[in-house]
Amino acid sequence: MESITVTFKLNGKTTAVAIEPLESLRTVLREHLHLHATKAGCGQGGCGSCTVLVNGEPVLSCLMLAALADGQEITTLEGIGTPQHMHPLQAAFFDRFAAQCGYCSPGMIMAAKALLDKNPHPNRAEIAEALAGNLCRCTGYVTILDAIEDVVTQMQEA
Amino acid sequence: MNADLFIPRSLDEALSVVQTHGAGLLVMGGGTMMMAHINEGIFFPQKVMSLARAGLSGVYRNGHTQIGATTHLAEVSQIADYPILAEAAYQIGGPAIRNMGTIGGNLYMPQPAGDLAVPLLVYDAHVELASPSGSRTVSLEDFLAEPRSHRGVHELLVAVHLPNPSGHTAYLKLGRREANTPSVVAVGVRIVMDRQGLVNEARIALGASGPFAFRAKNAEAALIGQSLNTKSIADTAQIAMEESNPFTDALATAWYRRRMVGVFVKRTLEQLTK
Ligand SMILES: Cc1cc2nc3c(=O)[nH]c(=O)nc-3n(C[C@H](O)[C@H](O)[C@H](O)COP(=O)(O)OP(=O)(O)OC[C@H]3O[C@@H](n4cnc5c(N)ncnc54)[C@H](O)[C@@H]3O)c2cc1C
Ligand code: FES
Ligand code: FES
Repeated sequence: MESITVTFKLNGKTTAVAIEPLESLRTVLREHLHLHATKAGCGQGGCGSCTVLVNGEPVLSCLMLAALADGQEITTLEGIGTPQHMHPLQAAFFDRFAAQCGYCSPGMIMAAKALLDKNPHPNRAEIAEALAGNLCRCTGYVTILDAIEDVVTQMQEA
Repeated sequence: MNADLFIPRSLDEALSVVQTHGAGLLVMGGGTMMMAHINEGIFFPQKVMSLARAGLSGVYRNGHTQIGATTHLAEVSQIADYPILAEAAYQIGGPAIRNMGTIGGNLYMPQPAGDLAVPLLVYDAHVELASPSGSRTVSLEDFLAEPRSHRGVHELLVAVHLPNPSGHTAYLKLGRREANTPSVVAVGVRIVMDRQGLVNEARIALGASGPFAFRAKNAEAALIGQSLNTKSIADTAQIAMEESNPFTDALATAWYRRRMVGVFVKRTLEQLTK
């Protein structure tokens, strides 16, 4: 088998791409589609920096066969905001200095988005549980939790 | 990386792939371990089959409970009538791992992973396996003791079967940190009391305490006919420690694991006295 074509909805747009059978979704996003927000960290499921949403649920794109993305809806960080029109989570990470080197931020934000889409009013412990698979070497996590709590508060006030 | 990938749409299709390609085939449930090995270059498989679309996922109730092999850990963590199974599933990885990893894959994981075996042993689970030449159902206990390898597949795990639960249960997992960490040890217990408050039936399952998860049967036997009190609990914990056969790895030494078996058997049983 040479290459196979998979078709999925990527950030709202139908996308077809030719892949090698065993490529991970992460490789396809970064190397075929040149979307680099999704990070290539450990490749072992251990760091969470490659977290994307599949049908709204967080998954680790390094451990997902890209072939299984066929027919699914994939959301990456690029799909939720732009520098001009940031997603509230992106804006809050910026305001709270929740990104230092920034390597973990896309995964953190996607994991947080998955949580808030399901449970708009999580407490701090629930936020921490939702981020249990995402490692950060820089911030000590406090600013990240603060940023997400800010968004929860904004949504309560809105 | 040239390889053949099979994504069967039914169990029958999956079994015909096994029949044709079984010898060199690598099977993925959720792929959380297999993809990590492929990414790392530990495996360069030529033939891979993902069971993700084979229709083997879901929880069914029909006198007993049946959990399909590719049911994700996230769904297992919602099965409220088997509380320590749900609890053990929730304590695996983070949310993304639970959305990807399957119950079937978990039961093939080498120790110290494979946490679900502990509560499933406690609930007297059986596993249903299918091969091109037929199917068999074996106790989880016997299944875990069978030798296995990742390469060359002759049968597939189809479902886990659970009798209706009885008695009181507790489960505790010791890790090096609070979440997203493998087991140093994991202990599950289930006790059925008679009317006098004496133990009628006991299950004590240990994870990361031997080459595979197992029931500490000497410790179970020691509890029968006893009330749960400080002495009977301490004696049982001591016997479980002696019955365990733990290993040393990057997380903990065998010496430490054995002591933690004692501590965690004691703590799980103490939970049942409250
Ligand atoms: C960050 C991280 C944290 C983790 N934490 C834990 C933890 O705390 N506890 C724990 O127990 N595990 C943990 N794991 C390991 C693993 O993710 C889980 O055990 C998961 O349930 C494995 O299931 P899977 O379907 O993804 O396995 P796969 O990788 O798909 O398969 C694992 C093995 O099972 C075989 N297999 C799978 N399904 C079948 C089937 N139906 N029939 C026959 N063979 C089959 C495969 O061939 C392979 O040998 C962790 C992994 C990561 C990356
Ligand atoms: S790169 Fe996927 S979890 Fe680390
Ligand atoms: S900001 Fe550097 S890893 Fe989190």
